[in-house]
Amino acid sequence: MIRMPVRWFALFFLGCVPLVNADQYIPGQPLKKDFAKFAEPFLTRHCTACHGSDDPAGGLSLHDIGKVQDVNVGIWKSIWAQVTLREMPPQDANQPQVLERIQFSDWVVGELGRVLESKGGFLEPEDPNKANFLDHALLFGDLPAGVKLIPTSSPTRIWRVTREEHITRLNELINKEPDYDPAKPGLRTQGDVVPTNHGGELKMYFGTDRIIQWQGGTVAYATAVKSVPAILSSSRKHGLENYPAFYTVNSAEATQIISVANDVLRYMADGPLSIAKPYQITDDPNSIKDKMVGDLRGLPTSLVYSTQIRRPITPVFDLLELENPTEQHQRRAVEFMFEALTFRSPRLHESDAYLQLVKESVEKLGNKDGTILGLSAIFLDRDAVFRPELAEAGETDRYGRVLLQDWELGLAINHAFSYIKPDPVLREAIVSGNMRNREDVRREVERILGDATIRKPRILQFFRDYFDYDLGGYICKDSRALTSAGVAGGNAHYRAMFDATASTERLIEIIVAKDQQVLRELLTTDLAVATKADSVYLGKVNTPKERQKSIEAEKQYQQTLADKIAAELEAWKKANPGKEPPKPKKQPNRNINHNVTQVVIDGEKEYARVSRRSFGAGSMKPERTLTRTSNGQRLGLLTHPAWLVSHSDAMDNHAILRGRWIQERLIGGGIPDVPITVDAMLPDEPQNTLRERMRVTRESYCWNCHRKMDPLGLPFEMFNHAGLYRELELDQVVDTSGEIIDSGDPSLDGNVANAIELINKLANSERVEQVFIRHAFRFWMGRNETIHDGPVLQDAYSAYKENGGSMKEMLISLLTSDAFIYRQR
Amino acid sequence: MLNRRKILHGMAAGAGAVMTAALDPRKAMAAPETGRTTKRVIFFMQNQGFDPKTCIPKGMTSSGSLANVTLPEPISPLESYKDRLHIINGIHGTHTTPSHSAFFGALGGYRGGDGVPPSGSTIDYELSKVLPETLMPHLCIGMDSIENMTTKPTVANLSASGAGQPIFMHSNPNHLYQMLYGGIATGEIRKQHEAKSNLLAQVEKLANAKGQSLPDHTAQRYSQFVQGFRDTNGLQDRLSKVSGHLRKFAPVVDERYTRPQFETDWHDALLELGISALTSGITNTLTIGSGRGEIFGAWKGIGVEKQGHDLGHIKQADNPIWIKIRQYNSRMLVKIMEALDSIPEGSGSMMDHTLIVYTSNNADSQHTSGANWPVMLLGNFDGAFKTGCFTQLDGKRPINALYTAILRAAGSSVDRFNMDEKLAKKFDRDSGPIKEILT
Repeated sequence: MIRMPVRWFALFFLGCVPLVNADQYIPGQPLKKDFAKFAEPFLTRHCTACHGSDDPAGGLSLHDIGKVQDVNVGIWKSIWAQVTLREMPPQDANQPQVLERIQFSDWVVGELGRVLESKGGFLEPEDPNKANFLDHALLFGDLPAGVKLIPTSSPTRIWRVTREEHITRLNELINKEPDYDPAKPGLRTQGDVVPTNHGGELKMYFGTDRIIQWQGGTVAYATAVKSVPAILSSSRKHGLENYPAFYTVNSAEATQIISVANDVLRYMADGPLSIAKPYQITDDPNSIKDKMVGDLRGLPTSLVYSTQIRRPITPVFDLLELENPTEQHQRRAVEFMFEALTFRSPRLHESDAYLQLVKESVEKLGNKDGTILGLSAIFLDRDAVFRPELAEAGETDRYGRVLLQDWELGLAINHAFSYIKPDPVLREAIVSGNMRNREDVRREVERILGDATIRKPRILQFFRDYFDYDLGGYICKDSRALTSAGVAGGNAHYRAMFDATASTERLIEIIVAKDQQVLRELLTTDLAVATKADSVYLGKVNTPKERQKSIEAEKQYQQTLADKIAAELEAWKKANPGKEPPKPKKQPNRNINHNVTQVVIDGEKEYARVSRRSFGAGSMKPERTLTRTSNGQRLGLLTHPAWLVSHSDAMDNHAILRGRWIQERLIGGGIPDVPITVDAMLPDEPQNTLRERMRVTRESYCWNCHRKMDPLGLPFEMFNHAGLYRELELDQVVDTSGEIIDSGDPSLDGNVANAIELINKLANSERVEQVFIRHAFRFWMGRNETIHDGPVLQDAYSAYKENGGSMKEMLISLLTSDAFIYRQR
Repeated sequence: MLNRRKILHGMAAGAGAVMTAALDPRKAMAAPETGRTTKRVIFFMQNQGFDPKTCIPKGMTSSGSLANVTLPEPISPLESYKDRLHIINGIHGTHTTPSHSAFFGALGGYRGGDGVPPSGSTIDYELSKVLPETLMPHLCIGMDSIENMTTKPTVANLSASGAGQPIFMHSNPNHLYQMLYGGIATGEIRKQHEAKSNLLAQVEKLANAKGQSLPDHTAQRYSQFVQGFRDTNGLQDRLSKVSGHLRKFAPVVDERYTRPQFETDWHDALLELGISALTSGITNTLTIGSGRGEIFGAWKGIGVEKQGHDLGHIKQADNPIWIKIRQYNSRMLVKIMEALDSIPEGSGSMMDHTLIVYTSNNADSQHTSGANWPVMLLGNFDGAFKTGCFTQLDGKRPINALYTAILRAAGSSVDRFNMDEKLAKKFDRDSGPIKEILT
């Protein structure tokens, strides 16, 4: 991942006329104050009493730190984090005034940006993991005197297309996805994201909807079919991962895009014939038996395709069908491809340029190869890999802002929900000049939100980024640790986790569709979308007594069965004297898992969105059940295996990670980076519980940060690292106690007995709802909020709250806000 | 934070755009042009496992010299080179979960699996960063059945530049030739090369034009996109500057390229191209995936009629099929060594500074726990590795420790490769390189 600095906020202040009195301070503005007159006195007043020359606290001496420069950047970063987060000065010391703290923080940011300019800048303030460094009270509470807010906007920018968006966009060219079926709303349909496959890979498959026969098992199938993986990179442990400032397209990615373009265009023209030999396309596999001889497993020639054309037929197909195409045919194909890849119609000079490229390539390579090569260039158009929001048209208002309009505004709305091109109504609004003001935006947003046939994978992506529930399948688990946790080791576990991701997303959709108290429902629902495997994952680890009871019960069952069979045999012999009795029927293997009390998965039939057939008979299946979880053992998504395993490690729970998630995503607290001097390792003591091993984090040097995480993660010790409920750990009653400390909302603070109590507390907190809104803001605006975004956040929160926890109303508020529709040039 | 090396290697993570930014091509060529010496590494990964019985001389149960023993039949072509050979038995890779193939885990030293994206960079990529810069830091070639190589000319199963960032193998020798030597080619390859060059030049122009109006804070990010095209297009300039030199190394395109009778014709052509990239100094890291890291593959051209998965189900020891495949591999290794021997470098030849790592992407067999992962090393890498010997280890050092040893010998000061302390406690009895194999 490549992150580049965004200095738009500073630019904003440079580019507009001050609109405030001299005694009012606009947060975020560059402070032209020097170290000696401004920062040093601050340090003297608030820091050096403890961090002086003699026996400094934490071994950190600040009395002679001096101005920000290369040699002390690390310390100044730490000062920035501690002061901004209000960790320092400590609570029992004299505190700086709020305004003083804001100004000091702004000064440090400015100085670090200056010193680090040649090294890419000071990026932390733009990192979503640091977004909570901005005090929640400054956004939702009363502003301190002397602080002046200015009308907000976002910077002009280009967003690199996400890998999900890119692959879904390409998929539209070669695969026809089914229409939305209101009777089975969970099934994957046109406009839904291309989901990850059985192995968690994001891949686009060629022609798998036409394969009617193949040789060999699942692996042979997977090897024989043609597929391309996602090309554009992104980070794995994601959180909010789609800020426009994060990514670019490197030349390796560009080269792959052009190579995939060739495959896509050939498939658009020839369908499976671009992969297969003509004889492989038949509805009667028996008719080509003579050709399917020998061991073809894993070869493209092991596949049989039906004759039914399923791919979209486009002007590219039409063009390549012709022996002597005219310029008009070529232009039509160029225009079609341009809009398919950039989501907007080309300007004349753009279509002229690509038409010329097609002609030149045709001249060199002939019609087919030349056309394909020429058209492949469009895949690398700037607007096919980046979405521009440059606000080149439109008037600048008195604050230096420009309202997005036409294609840029329309595509911004489209991108808020969708990975495919704008639906016809939105497109018409764009081209007819009805996409130019806030009311236009409201009209389209409300329409799109009200139409279930327009799929909205970006909303699901938000929840994926927010909850991080999709990482379980990527966490390398120790097989023995899995077995002792009560679940099957090996690939079965990873596949169960990828299935769990799809199940969780369907549950989220169900809750979002109801649109009532969305966050609270997500946190407290007793519903689960489940596969058969989840009867174990949603189950409970047996105590030794229960395990023994299970073994005894099975013994009893087998004994009863054996007695019954013997009695039947005896009866048969009596009835058939002298005859040889029939061989006893083989009894099915019951595979009883004595380590787990499984739950019964029953309820309504549901479907989850899964990948196209990627693994032959072993592909993921969409069938699911909407079931209820065991009373008292689970409550909401955070107690589902998908989330729990996503926040675990190879051998055990990851209480720190879980606690950090709660602290950052629900409570809205910030955690500074781990100091490089810290050896962040728990002792390897298999005889001790995780809680006991975490004693090292309670040492005073560590506890300052860990108190914000550990007591929030440890209540989840009521589950093991595979997500199963447990009562015992190492044969002792598991300690599930925890505490909310200094949350910023005194009514939240205090002890909790377990994760259920913790979740119940948090789910009913206004602060937690506000923090949720802050995350939604970041996702849809593509940047961290600033203090100037406070009014936008408050409006969005009011919309959510006053409409019964409505995600829709919150989105309408956010997407019609200044932050979304205005850009700062 | 970006730096030049990161940018260069970010570019290297793909199918073709592996050329460095503004390198002076003469400086970026390896030893033959400049008289400098440089280290180079070749990984040869045969699929379906590497049965130790097919490489350990009969009767050898403990470490010792190979001088007075005869190599087993499958690797007999290496008999004359056994003074350069180091057979290692007893490394493990249980944590990579090899079963059919460890895929990226084989070179990454982490859990792999079919369809499982790489969870980190692989050793070949990491070495390409440590070794001196060349025009192309890393080249991967993959050998498979002719159908697979035709319909899927690039796949990625073995090498990666980072988590979720696979590096593609080239499997169509015509495409690879076009990429490496298009500028000095003739006929159809030349035409295609020119058309593609023209296209990329236009793409660069269009991309550049659309970057003119960007605000400063995004222009820098966008400029990396445009720079990528400049680098790719600049390759031809750089290659043309050394075209006289390249001409000496470029293989002759013959019917094996254009009308292969068997898949092995393409295997041979790919190997020639790989060797030429080394001898010409275009690259110093080559990864060869025989079977492309999967569980299929075909070798009909050497008289192996069976293909694909069944090859993995049969025992390798004393099996005529596997003797043929392993001998074919060994002859390829000999070709590499002979080619590198023939190029003077420093006071010796290129081979003196080279290490060839031959193993499988799936430990010792098709269905395996990975408890034993036999490896053969050829060459001493500037005297870093012992040669002419067999080393029996205790099965408690992971494949990662072998990679650590190579990284150390290449000049990187690492104690572990892709294994954190927590995993190491379970999977590694020691830290640092495998000392027993180093001089």
